[in-house]
Amino acid sequence: MLTASHLTRRFGDRVAVDDLSFEVAPGEIFALLGPNGAGKTTTLRIAAGLIAPSAGSVRIGTEALSPAAGPRLRIRIGLLTETPGLWDRLSVRQNLRIYARLHGLTDPEEAVDRALDLFALADRAADPAGQLSKGLRQRVALARTLLHRPDVVLLDEPTAGLDPESARDVRELILRLKSEQRAIVLSTHNLDEVERVADRVAVLRSRLVAVDTPQALRARLFGARVRIDLAHPAEACVSALGAAGFADVRVAGATLSVGVTDHVAATPAIVRALVGAGADIEAVAAERQPLEDVYLKLLEDDGARHGGHGARPQ
Amino acid sequence: MSRIGVLLGKELADLRQNRAIFVPALITGGVSVLLPFFVAIIVPALAGERLAESGDLQIAVEMYKAHPALRHLGPEAAIQAWIFQQFLILLVLTPVAGAMSIAAYSVVGEKQARTLEPLLSTPLTTFELLAAKVLGAFLPALALTLGCFVIYVAGVAIVAEPGAFLALLTPASLAVMFLLGPLAALTALQLAVCVSSRVQDARSAQQIGALVVLPIAGLLVLQLTGSFELTARASALLAVGLLAVNAALMRLGVALFDRESILIRWK
Repeated sequence: MLTASHLTRRFGDRVAVDDLSFEVAPGEIFALLGPNGAGKTTTLRIAAGLIAPSAGSVRIGTEALSPAAGPRLRIRIGLLTETPGLWDRLSVRQNLRIYARLHGLTDPEEAVDRALDLFALADRAADPAGQLSKGLRQRVALARTLLHRPDVVLLDEPTAGLDPESARDVRELILRLKSEQRAIVLSTHNLDEVERVADRVAVLRSRLVAVDTPQALRARLFGARVRIDLAHPAEACVSALGAAGFADVRVAGATLSVGVTDHVAATPAIVRALVGAGADIEAVAAERQPLEDVYLKLLEDDGARHGGHGARPQ
Repeated sequence: MSRIGVLLGKELADLRQNRAIFVPALITGGVSVLLPFFVAIIVPALAGERLAESGDLQIAVEMYKAHPALRHLGPEAAIQAWIFQQFLILLVLTPVAGAMSIAAYSVVGEKQARTLEPLLSTPLTTFELLAAKVLGAFLPALALTLGCFVIYVAGVAIVAEPGAFLALLTPASLAVMFLLGPLAALTALQLAVCVSSRVQDARSAQQIGALVVLPIAGLLVLQLTGSFELTARASALLAVGLLAVNAALMRLGVALFDRESILIRWK
């Protein structure tokens, strides 16, 4: 649905986005991660047709985004900007109605009513936008972004500054968009959010550092591991695992961590070996390295390769 | 509804919620309406001297002798009519000055409120955006001009010498009010909107846009000194010139509007 090919954007001497390529399919949530100034917002603005790339191209479906095609293609794109950007003196309904009309919807009132219901804003429709809480303002901005049912949804830090309940509401809305087969690009610093909703992650530092599913990135950097909690000290079980072919075993008290190539395939063999050795197993689970560790490691490795600095957590 | 109409509706709805912005225009409008009455009615009454007794203003009596609708005016009525007619151009300036703040704030205000980026992500073209912004400032200015004019003519009809108000309804006067005035306002407001899309604060736009007022004020001075008479023909020529300037300004505005700079560099 959205294809970015070799996008580069320079501002004077500074390269904000460097040879970035990715594709986002319908029903996919694609997260852009990266430190401040990594080019995430610039990438979204290019994808929305707001600014032009210095090199490279963006396609929406089969159509290339260009200054001439921009006004027409923007109907297929919904951009949630970093700040809600509502007209404070106008009511929620007025804000939405103006955008419904600017997008040329055939029945703007119906679209506004639908959005108000969908985003649980009907009871605040007459309130001036300036009187809403931050969470509600973000909800109105999301409603505005989706009024015209865009195929491509670009979200710039949609949960930044929201309380946990509002952030959860927004995440649920994002997942609903995925179920509606929209192609979603999500720029965020919130790694937990990415873990919860993203199908694939692109780590940026002007250029593309890595792109894959969170699980694949984790496995690529840290390998797959299975964690086993025993009812007794685990040291005695190491030899049984070695005999079963598992050489990468770490012990910490009553816990074992076993390095595997595929934890789904390896788990039954590990359990069999331990039960055979008389171990009392309390719990078995795939070990998941926090995404934050994955992200920091990727940036650290990239910094080492390109002589830059490692990532600083946001 | 066209996108210009949609955005214009938003501009007007926003102005309705922010009526304080009209206070400067109303004050200057009020002053412009009242000032000629002080000069033509109140000061002579306080001084106990009729205008017709002053030799300096005989030019007015002579001027109207050739005018079919006004040649019957007595000396006092003719001089009053002349004063009220000369001050008409001040009335034209007033709403321009008032609407300048609306125009100057138009683009830079959207940027400062962070509402410009979502707006630019719609199919709205630069021409549509600028046209709506200019009209959003122009239509209230035009309404205010009409309001001031109606009050002015009614006031003259009520308190001035009988028939003096007819001088305000000559083709030349009406051309100033309804052709030259609005076109000059449009020029000033377009310039302010152009500048508003290039500067990072509304005050700069307001100051630069207000420069358009200077040539119009110059015309007033020339008229009062008798060096220049704004006839219907002169008004028509000026109107054609202003039309051309307005068309050029719109093209210039679209060319100067740099979406990227506005989004990236303005904070």
